[in-house]
Amino acid sequence: MSKNYYLKRIGMVFVTIYLVTTFTFVLIRYMPGGPMDYMVAQLIQQGLPEARARQIASTYLKVNPDQPIHVAYVDYMSGILVGDLGISTWYDRPVLEIIISALPWTVFVMTVSLILSFAFGIALGAWMAYREGSRFDSVATIVTTFLTSVPYYLAAIALLAVFSFRLGWFPTGGRYNPDMAAGMTPEFFRSVLYHGILPIASFTLTAFGGWALGMRGNSIQVLGEDYLRVARLAGIPERDIVIKYVTPNAILPLYTNLMIAIGFIFGGSIILEQIFNYPGLGYYLFKSIETRDYPLMMGGFIVITIAVAISIFIADMTYSLIDPQAEAGDSRETY
Amino acid sequence: MKIVSERSASVEDPVLELYDTSVTFSMDRGTSRVLNDVTFDIQREEILGVVGESGSGKSMFASALLDAVVDPGVAQGRIIYRTDAGEQVDMLDLSREELRRLRWEEISMVFQGAQSSFNPTMKIREHFELVLESHDTPKGQGMEHAHELISDLYMDPERVLDSYPHELSGGMKQRALIALSLVLEPNVLVMDEPTAALDLLMQRSILGLLENLQEKYNLTVIFITHDLPLVAGLADRLAVMYAFEFIEIGTAEEVLNQPAHPYTRALLQAVPNLDAPLSEMSPIEGSAPDPVNIPSGCTYHPRCPLATEECRSEEPHFHDTTESHKTACFHWEQSAEALPFADANEYSEQTAIQGSQSEDPVVSLEGTEVHFEDGGGILNIFNEPETVYAVDGVDLDIYENDVVALVGESGCGKTTLGKTAIGVQRSTGGGVSYRGQDIWDARDKNGDVDIPFADIRRALQIIHQDPGSSLNPNRKVQTILASPLKRWHKDMGGDERLHRIHALLDLVGMSPPQDYAQRYPHQLSGGEKQRVALIRALLMNPDLILADEAVSALDVSLRVEMMDLMLELQNLFNTSYLFISHDLANARYLAGNAGGRIGVMYLGQIVEIGPVEEILQNPQHPYTKVLMWATADLEADEGDEEMPIRGIDIPDAKNPPSGCRFHTRCPEAREICTEREPGQFETENEHETACFLVCDDDHPYWESDPIVDETETGEP
Ligand SMILES: Nc1ncnc2c1ncn2[C@@H]1O[C@H](COP(=O)(O)OP(=O)(O)O)[C@@H](O)[C@H]1O
Ligand code: SF4
Ligand code: SF4
Ligand SMILES: [Mg+2]
Repeated sequence: MSKNYYLKRIGMVFVTIYLVTTFTFVLIRYMPGGPMDYMVAQLIQQGLPEARARQIASTYLKVNPDQPIHVAYVDYMSGILVGDLGISTWYDRPVLEIIISALPWTVFVMTVSLILSFAFGIALGAWMAYREGSRFDSVATIVTTFLTSVPYYLAAIALLAVFSFRLGWFPTGGRYNPDMAAGMTPEFFRSVLYHGILPIASFTLTAFGGWALGMRGNSIQVLGEDYLRVARLAGIPERDIVIKYVTPNAILPLYTNLMIAIGFIFGGSIILEQIFNYPGLGYYLFKSIETRDYPLMMGGFIVITIAVAISIFIADMTYSLIDPQAEAGDSRETY
Repeated sequence: MKIVSERSASVEDPVLELYDTSVTFSMDRGTSRVLNDVTFDIQREEILGVVGESGSGKSMFASALLDAVVDPGVAQGRIIYRTDAGEQVDMLDLSREELRRLRWEEISMVFQGAQSSFNPTMKIREHFELVLESHDTPKGQGMEHAHELISDLYMDPERVLDSYPHELSGGMKQRALIALSLVLEPNVLVMDEPTAALDLLMQRSILGLLENLQEKYNLTVIFITHDLPLVAGLADRLAVMYAFEFIEIGTAEEVLNQPAHPYTRALLQAVPNLDAPLSEMSPIEGSAPDPVNIPSGCTYHPRCPLATEECRSEEPHFHDTTESHKTACFHWEQSAEALPFADANEYSEQTAIQGSQSEDPVVSLEGTEVHFEDGGGILNIFNEPETVYAVDGVDLDIYENDVVALVGESGCGKTTLGKTAIGVQRSTGGGVSYRGQDIWDARDKNGDVDIPFADIRRALQIIHQDPGSSLNPNRKVQTILASPLKRWHKDMGGDERLHRIHALLDLVGMSPPQDYAQRYPHQLSGGEKQRVALIRALLMNPDLILADEAVSALDVSLRVEMMDLMLELQNLFNTSYLFISHDLANARYLAGNAGGRIGVMYLGQIVEIGPVEEILQNPQHPYTKVLMWATADLEADEGDEEMPIRGIDIPDAKNPPSGCRFHTRCPEAREICTEREPGQFETENEHETACFLVCDDDHPYWESDPIVDETETGEP
């Protein structure tokens, strides 16, 4: 791998982001209906005659529906370069501002669930591998396989139905108690956690099984490696074998998956935050699709694209730092 | 714990005594006895060589010695270990903790698969430290010993300790593992096929070092291998295993020169070597028994030409042939006469076999170069990538019906050259042409293309070192073999195709072919897989097959069989072989029987090439002589033979030495060799050598000062 290789990879990241942005832009424009139609429909529902509704909408919405797509495209792209993502047609606020206020909440929920599911999955997987073939292993395998196959949004709906609506233990929406002043107080943090627990749980519950099964498989493979046999023969205590031999070697192959998961989990937030009425990035993205709010939709998709592209890039680049063998990909003769 | 032995040991000062030791596995098919009631003594401070075909139970014997049989195997019987203090311990009757302490501190082991014996995420140093820590040995003192051991093994301790396992070459990893196994100063070292994955020169070098270590640290070494010639020169005593038992034990000299057991005699006959006439080597008929179903009486009787009724019904016990040599055979007295073999010493001149090569080359290489770029990771973004000179200026013509055997140690570029010759690796300089058509021009549709690339592709085929990996595991043999036929003989009907496949399977001895055609690759043995790979390549009707270490992974006794098959098929199909091997004996067998050539490679160049017997009887290049030295002959310890080479490890192909590339290791090197690169000098009989030694007396080489200090020979 040469210097060129890295430059090429960085170039790829930009090209990917650019292409996806363009593609999304075109796609969005060809979606049936537009922001006008949505607002007009809303106004008509409120009892206004169609002509009046159209008039209000056109003064209210700062869109130019007659602008040809290529002109709109050039406008939009040049705006991005100076950090201007446009004004949301529905909220009538700068898209950048909305994203900046929403993003941390999404990042919070996603990171916590990712860390929890990864940590828990790894521990469980390693333990299952150690007890391979035991009752515990078979039960855990069944349970984890089941949980992984449940889509996170089904889990979300189930959790919401049971714990919020039926039992009333958790709130049905929001990021924190609105009566409370946001600040570095323990009460505030408690409220944030309280509101975040169900979204986090729905992701964690459906994701940890995958990590556990992956870790189990890798660990079983490592447990059968020659170096493990040597370590045992040389009398190295089991504790060192677990910490220094099995765990690092079994986790390594999962590392790339973890990075990629970070990227894709943003996509998951769209539906999850809608279900929990949790105003993060996904929530606004969903709303923007519903209201055909082109600028907000674009902004949201761009952020997700960037997150995915950068996560994959980081995974690629850092893998060689973590795995001592990664650079040795040359195929030498065995003899 | 005191145990009083109930029989007197068969050696003077036993360190290990085995009493009716068995290893069994319960399987669905029944109980598998993979070590069958072995009673055996091992002398303190001896080097014991244990040989046998794969699957004969050698590894089971090795792991039983440390009570380390893998689950769900069970070792039974008694294995008495005598400590230096004279205390007796039953290895099979220890607590976990006692066993944990005894292993590595008293009896240590280097086992099969050494290439993956280190944790890839830990530096070598950590491995040493962990072992010392686990046995409560003071780190300072222990690491000092580690340094000494690593130096004893001709490596730079700091460099090795600071490396990750993958940063070391196979030979270095192997030596680091030996050092690791000796770091607690054990008395006994058990080595199970420790060098099997290394090239011959490295194997021989390591064996030399092992001998020194054994003397220096008063070790008892049990060296297990399927490769009889390898241990012949090393071992004090040899023990031959067949069907999970020992069948012959004696001093190395006696077992090699007066083998009494018919199996030992057959084994010696089956080993390709440099001395015996080609016609005298023959494979052993039949196959080794299944551990679930061991034949009654003498286990060798189904394959033994001397078998009588007695052999079929009664188990032979050990008969002493001399005081130090015994064998488990009823008719051992007749074996020498009934199964004679050519005495290696009688053999003098081998008449060269005339080949039937064509005039025009099929494949020609002209000044071919393959250079790889190799940078290093994210930390080295700003370093210039380094160039690996894998192949560096090779001229070679391969004719029809030709066999060219390339030999050389690991990493010298044999595989890259081979792949370049068949057009699967693009050359970065020079040309590669097929019947006059430049292969890469054809590929890129550059200029006038006389022969389309697809035809060239078909004409140049490959069989790999590891037959398993090249066959699709999800396809039956029949499907694997049908696909080339479907592709190249579109007009052939299904029945005809099947008929052809069956006929070929039958031809290569896989009968009944109907049965084999229905199997999946995992249901075949290594030799059988290799045969399927060979047929598949031949079905393309190729002009040249690259056989890359195609027989190296097979058991010694199967190699001759496979090579015979290759020769037979060459006659049928009119193919040429480019045969790659690190073993000169294999190269000799295959190329010699087809009147071909041997080419010796060193660091990306062919340093000597010529007809087989010419090269072997009249080697000119010092490196060729080194390879011949490494190709062990079937002789017992010849005393302390000096290694005809300086340094064990091949220089880095990223930074090849100036002038003659061999000068850093050549015992004949002179000042001029460090500056000037020798060209190919042709002597008689189409024999070419890239070394000044073949030049006339007036060449400046003879005036130049030697760079080798006489006393330095054999040192790194
Ligand atoms: N885990 C296992 N279960 C059942 N049989 C085994 C196992 N490992 C090895 N064997 C059998 O034991 C026999 C001897 O094996 P091994 O000692 O490895 O032979 P060698 O070392 O001489 O090649 C073979 O028939 C092999 O198939
Ligand atoms: S005992 Fe009989 S069958 Fe066995 S090796 Fe001797 S002669 Fe052959
Ligand atoms: S040219 Fe010199 S260094 Fe090279 S092989 Fe000949 S004598 Fe040795
Ligand atoms: Mg073995």
